[in-house]
Amino acid sequence: MNIFWREIKAYRKSTIIWVLVLSAITIVFLLLYPGFTKDVEATRKMLSGIPAAYRNALGLSLDNFFTIFGFLGYLFTFVLLAGAAQAMSLGTGIISKEDSGKTSDFLLSKPVTRTKVLTSKLSAALVLLAATNIFFSLASYGVARVVSTANFSAKTFFLISATLFLVQLFFWALGALFAVIIPKIKSVISVTLPTVFAFFIVSTIGAFIGNDNVRLVTPFKFYDYQYIIAHNTYEWKYVIIEAVCIAVAIVASFIIYLKKDVRAAS
Amino acid sequence: MNIIETKKLTKYYGKARGIIDVDMTVEEGEIYGFIGPNGAGKSTTIRTLLGLMKPTGGSATIFGKDITKYGPQIKQEIGYLPSEVFYYDGMKAIDLLKYSASFYQKDKKFTEKRIQELSGILDLDLSKKIDDLSYGNKKKVGIVQGLLHQPKLIILDEPTGGLDPLIQQKFFNLLKEENEKGATILFSSHILSEVQKMCDKVAIIKEGKIIKTEKISDLLENQTKRFRIETAMKADKKDFAIKGVDDLSITDNSVTFLFRGHLNDIMREIAKLDLANISIEEPDLEEIFLHYYQK
Repeated sequence: MNIFWREIKAYRKSTIIWVLVLSAITIVFLLLYPGFTKDVEATRKMLSGIPAAYRNALGLSLDNFFTIFGFLGYLFTFVLLAGAAQAMSLGTGIISKEDSGKTSDFLLSKPVTRTKVLTSKLSAALVLLAATNIFFSLASYGVARVVSTANFSAKTFFLISATLFLVQLFFWALGALFAVIIPKIKSVISVTLPTVFAFFIVSTIGAFIGNDNVRLVTPFKFYDYQYIIAHNTYEWKYVIIEAVCIAVAIVASFIIYLKKDVRAAS
Repeated sequence: MNIIETKKLTKYYGKARGIIDVDMTVEEGEIYGFIGPNGAGKSTTIRTLLGLMKPTGGSATIFGKDITKYGPQIKQEIGYLPSEVFYYDGMKAIDLLKYSASFYQKDKKFTEKRIQELSGILDLDLSKKIDDLSYGNKKKVGIVQGLLHQPKLIILDEPTGGLDPLIQQKFFNLLKEENEKGATILFSSHILSEVQKMCDKVAIIKEGKIIKTEKISDLLENQTKRFRIETAMKADKKDFAIKGVDDLSITDNSVTFLFRGHLNDIMREIAKLDLANISIEEPDLEEIFLHYYQK
């Protein structure tokens, strides 16, 4: 457990910052919600001036934008983007820092298997992401309840809220895979941000042109908020697709990491 | 008992040569020197033994156990100091050393006492952050982390870079003490005076292959001699055209060369010359090393 706790300690501060950033984005937007619902018809008229393709690209549905969960679903388009950046940075950085910081010699010359090293690091990242989501969800839940005027379903809220964690899992696994494949990552951001944005742009373009197949390739579209609000559940087909992607990425990460040569630092 | 035993240990980086068919036997209690210039394969051998790299051929055992199967078990009893040390910048030296100690199945009190003892000997300030330490002090952290669990095998890969002469001496004394307590030491270096001072046996590695393994004393005393001769008249190359003469240099009336072989053979030839002076010296390890490398 020593590697696990060391990583928890090392990423503690940055995780607190991410919790604050994600919570701040959500809380500020949720506090604006009563303003949007004050004069629904005027706001609807204003939003309907935006072409439907653009509204779809932004995840903005006029059918339920004025409900708390519809508003939350729209807001989550951006929360997911930030959350994905956190998850992929963590998944990549927690592994690649040993290479970039040239500390692999220190760590891997200790009496510990590589399986244990990778398991400890990925578990620590997972726990940090889970902690992020617990604090973020509780903070958002409190504010959402306060600003909500209609009936409030805790289940629907947490189903929407948990999509952050589910999408983060995808980027956590992808980050781990990138960390073991790409040699000597000097800047984690230079790898993670373009990747996250590439998936985001694909999802935006897919929504813009109305191509539903794009949902199969980008985690930003695995969870449709309109569906969650209407059915109070996820579309399990996409949950399974994501689970398979994660499993493949993690298994591949272990296989590559276990065989990888650690070249001398210079 | 053999502490390290390699049989045709081979490592290629793709098509590039790392080490080829390395056979090495390090016995219990030995201080075993491993010499060769940069790129000869010293670090590759060590890194393969430590499991940092996977061998592409051959086999190796440490404490009688296969390195590819029992890596973590073997490493419980190994202390390693690489040529360049890198640690986690945000950590204090004491935290890094405690983290290092946490990997070993040794009593916490024992390792904490060792950390204090060793850092005291090396004059290391444990309260400083790693990124605030000079390179020499980081190296001291490296020495402490390599010895804090009192390993049975100490592997040193060009360990003295960055250490001032005083600390180098303290470090060598520490190694001698550990050796007297029973530790076996594999000492890789291209600084031959260090190896000559520290080691019992030495292996010379060239282009990935071990070309010579011998006791330091045998290498120094029984093999090659350095001859310096002054003659009344300029000598001829032909006068020294006998087996075993190497590195021959004739300038004016002065002749120098290395000789390996039966002394009577060369003395008979020298006796034919009109000698003004002669000296026969033991060459130092550096000369012997160059002798092998120039071949």
